[in-house]
Amino acid sequence: MRKLFVVMSVLIVASMLLSACGAPATAAAPQTIIQTQVVVVTPTTAPAPAIASKDTTTLTYADSDVSIDTLDPALAYDTASGEIIQNVYDTLIFYDGSQAAKFVPLLADSWTISPDGKTYTFKLHPGVKFHNGDAMTASDVAYSFQRGLLQSGSASPQWLFAEPFFGVGNQDVAAVVSAKVSKAVDAQADTLVAAVDVTKFDAAAYTKLFTDFAAAYTKTAGYAVDAAKTLGTDPNKKAIDDLVKGLAAAKDEAAKKALIKTAITSMLGAADGGDPTALQDDRTTMPKVDPAILKDVADMVMKAIVADDAAGTVTMTLAQPWGPFLPSIAQTWGSVMDKKWVASNKGWDGSDATWQNFYGVVSADDPFSAIENGTGPFTLTSLKQQEQYTLDAFPGYFKGAPKLQHIIAKAVPEWGTRFAMMTAGDADVATVPAANRSQMDALVGEKCTYDTAAGAYKPCEVTDANKPLRVYLGQPPIAMDVINFNWKIASDPKSPNQYIGSGKLDGNGITPDFFADLNVRKAFAYCFDFDTLINDVYKGEAIQATGLPLPGMPGFFADTPHYSFDLAKCADAFKASTLMGADGKSLWDTGFRVQMLYNQGNQTAQTMAEILAGSLAKVNPKFKVEILGLPWASYLAAQRAHLIPIMRAGWQEDIHDPHNWYQPYTSSGGAYSGRAGLPKDLTAQFDAILSKGVTETDPAKRAVIYKDANQLYYDQAVGVPLVLPTSHGFRQRWVMGEVLNPLFPGFHYYEMYKQ
Amino acid sequence: MTTFIIRRLLLVPVLLFGVTVVIFGMMMLLSPTERSALYIRDFPKNEAALPGIIKQYGLDDPFYLQYWHWMVGRADPVSGERKGGILFGDFGFSRTASEPVVTLIKDRFPNTLDLTIWAVAPVILVGIWLGVQAAVHHNGIIDQAARIFSIVGTSFPTFVFGLLMLMLFYATLHWFQPGRLSDVNLRIISQPGFNHYTSLITFDALLNGRFDIFLDAIRHMVLPILTLSYISWATFLRVTRSSMLETLRMEYVTTARAKGLKESDVIYKHAQPNAMIPVVTLAGFQVISLLGGVVITETVFNYPGIGSAAARAAVSLDVVAVLGFALFDGLILIVANLIVDILYAVVDPRVRLS
Repeated sequence: MRKLFVVMSVLIVASMLLSACGAPATAAAPQTIIQTQVVVVTPTTAPAPAIASKDTTTLTYADSDVSIDTLDPALAYDTASGEIIQNVYDTLIFYDGSQAAKFVPLLADSWTISPDGKTYTFKLHPGVKFHNGDAMTASDVAYSFQRGLLQSGSASPQWLFAEPFFGVGNQDVAAVVSAKVSKAVDAQADTLVAAVDVTKFDAAAYTKLFTDFAAAYTKTAGYAVDAAKTLGTDPNKKAIDDLVKGLAAAKDEAAKKALIKTAITSMLGAADGGDPTALQDDRTTMPKVDPAILKDVADMVMKAIVADDAAGTVTMTLAQPWGPFLPSIAQTWGSVMDKKWVASNKGWDGSDATWQNFYGVVSADDPFSAIENGTGPFTLTSLKQQEQYTLDAFPGYFKGAPKLQHIIAKAVPEWGTRFAMMTAGDADVATVPAANRSQMDALVGEKCTYDTAAGAYKPCEVTDANKPLRVYLGQPPIAMDVINFNWKIASDPKSPNQYIGSGKLDGNGITPDFFADLNVRKAFAYCFDFDTLINDVYKGEAIQATGLPLPGMPGFFADTPHYSFDLAKCADAFKASTLMGADGKSLWDTGFRVQMLYNQGNQTAQTMAEILAGSLAKVNPKFKVEILGLPWASYLAAQRAHLIPIMRAGWQEDIHDPHNWYQPYTSSGGAYSGRAGLPKDLTAQFDAILSKGVTETDPAKRAVIYKDANQLYYDQAVGVPLVLPTSHGFRQRWVMGEVLNPLFPGFHYYEMYKQ
Repeated sequence: MTTFIIRRLLLVPVLLFGVTVVIFGMMMLLSPTERSALYIRDFPKNEAALPGIIKQYGLDDPFYLQYWHWMVGRADPVSGERKGGILFGDFGFSRTASEPVVTLIKDRFPNTLDLTIWAVAPVILVGIWLGVQAAVHHNGIIDQAARIFSIVGTSFPTFVFGLLMLMLFYATLHWFQPGRLSDVNLRIISQPGFNHYTSLITFDALLNGRFDIFLDAIRHMVLPILTLSYISWATFLRVTRSSMLETLRMEYVTTARAKGLKESDVIYKHAQPNAMIPVVTLAGFQVISLLGGVVITETVFNYPGIGSAAARAAVSLDVVAVLGFALFDGLILIVANLIVDILYAVVDPRVRLS
């Protein structure tokens, strides 16, 4: 018994000691996915002898999660899905090594661009096979792009194709259908009104006319408008009486008919279901639209993308020249699918009469969410959501079989477990939270540093031959956070916005148009302490952003005018504000209180808010910014309701192009500009510049155009681009051959091998 | 007893109905936007899809209509096919898992059941044995050691203890890997030649004659079972010990000793069965808890059980999955309680199920 007691006591003490040594990080630490940190890698050193790869044919990736949304390349828009798609499907062209904006042939051997910049002809590589053995044809390529455009939907990345093919501002095929529906409905109104006898026009005649018009609209637009219900409302009854009385004053028959047409179209537009532009994402109504219009739209798409199977070419004709067209087709949404395979798996058959049944599909209803049949170097052999997926080498790959035979991506949510896997050598790469980098740094024996000037990594340097890991440092990212202001904060007297305090400028709140004041925006911009953010959150591994365009793209200038931390200028800008408090005092004397929101768990966003709040309080103790974390779902709901006064607005680029940055933040159709309530005259100015910039194909000329956008963004202090955190990624040293490109959605395994 | 069982089984649908109404009602407190937030995988890029999602799935319909659709499903606007409907065995589509909830449960629950089956003996029987030993050697060295052991076990956070085990036995000694099975064997069991008779890997491995896979599966369960056991032993030990001590002081035990029975007979035949009633209750809860999934242990050892999936769904406000898991857990709870009630009658003849 004594012996047992002693053994147990020793065990307990040892456990306590080990526990103290190995305190794990909490699960809430911010996650940095290291595989997105990118480099061209040329390590030449052999791995440390202490740990050798157990299996050189299999690469194991311990990720915090491996759930994907969908394997349908036309629908996938998340990084996790893109990572698999990139390895199992191929695109016409691909990135040239680590270059984000240079491309090399892949499925296309070559391509030509017409002098007007609108027509692209791709000559396809012969003999390419899909994983099921089907030969890839030009028809498959054309079909894949046609399918994407017609499938569209806001959940998809197809807006990147919709604009070049349908015209600037058209972000979904629904916009094209809606425009045609509107035109057809207008013509129907003309026809019906033309038949009206204005000499006998009364309320009864109006009722018949509107009923006929609504019936015609329902048949054309697919939406059911209840004419009797619409006509029966009191305001509409009054409007009809007013119209009938007003007709007497009209000077002639044409004027009378114009009034009648305006009346019926306005009444229809205000009725339930009377708005054909609501078609976006409406899968119920799209199939009910007039078949002639649907066929017309499909034929338009098919004429724009034409295959010549005999010649092995595909020709794409754009609505206008499009500067970033090649970057757009190099991403996963430009992947080529097997038309025959898609049709045989309950997908679109390629007919212009059936596409509407597949419009706006979401991943839960998409038959291609969990299966693949690409031409890529790997095949997906198993997929268990939230657990792991396995890719196996495709021996028939047209560029030659990959060196790695198997890729296993495992979901390992707990950092301590991932760390143990890396330590044991069972994982070749792992997702490392920023807070835990120091644990990994202790195991680094080889360091690769990015040379910003050269745009490439310097040769890697061995720092300790006995340590197992390699670290990549210093490459700029493709994602950035921006502080966005809400120029038109929603606030209803019946349900006041809790985030703007009293809703008045009385020292205890702000008015809904507080951030419409240029000086206030400038003051906030000057008050942001970039260095503290860089040092506290990113441990010095970040640089201040100077504008929306990132290094390496047209429109990026190191000397772009930008705001820097300056408390004196911050104070001056507040003092220059013409906003007056409720008692007639200046903003400076009155002060304000506002809440800055972030989504719970996002420690970076929380720290950003704390930094800003701290600076503002230093400038004037009457400036109070309260920080509030909301669960993601509630945060999203508050954003959608335009309730959040000031927010962190992050973006990860789809393509390395300034249009991809300015469009969301400043254009009339941008995701963030709408949320920020930017005034129409300002978005119109940006729209004009962006339209000019995106339709220009000469990079030098584009740079000059986007310089204007940079200036306008700065002058108006539209937002505050924050910092560019640089890479800090780890690999086992036996992982070789990796091409790291910022635009890859994860690893591109084809070039990789293990030593 | 048959009447009792039938009556309890007839109550199952009523209880499940109550469970679903309560949970569904709680979920409805969230706005349609909040309940559809998970469709936004890449904010703000596809956020514009939300109104379409809300319309397509009728998330702004009245409560009773949404509940009805959840029960019987609704027609797909395009194909006209029925989608959803728990009465048809369709629990809906989990956005966090990107697969149907039923598939998720089918994937995860067998792993949890497998772990539970192999964990029950070490967790419960060893705990009871330790408790009996502590009681029998009241205030002796074994009792003192067991009490220290139980205090440490109770106060040791599962998370810390699990990671400790992992760093020691995996990262350092390379004995036991995390996960469900080694990569090689995972590949083998996904091949057509391996038959999935029960979906429980250990049993299927034996039925397929693959003792190596069986051993591999057991090896992967050693650390989770050890962690669960250590954390649970403390509770079993303390409950069994106090119950045994109380029983050992009963007069009939003194009588048994006075009759000259062997001490082992007195303890194991006379005292222990009567001391087991509170332990059976505890064991029932323990099994229910194991079957519902052990989130922290599964997470630390990367064991793909149902607990971590359910926790993730809850944290992400994956309404459909939460409802599905709640229904499933409710079912387990009801059935397990029924079994515990029956066991009472078996353990203690004084309990009559009437």
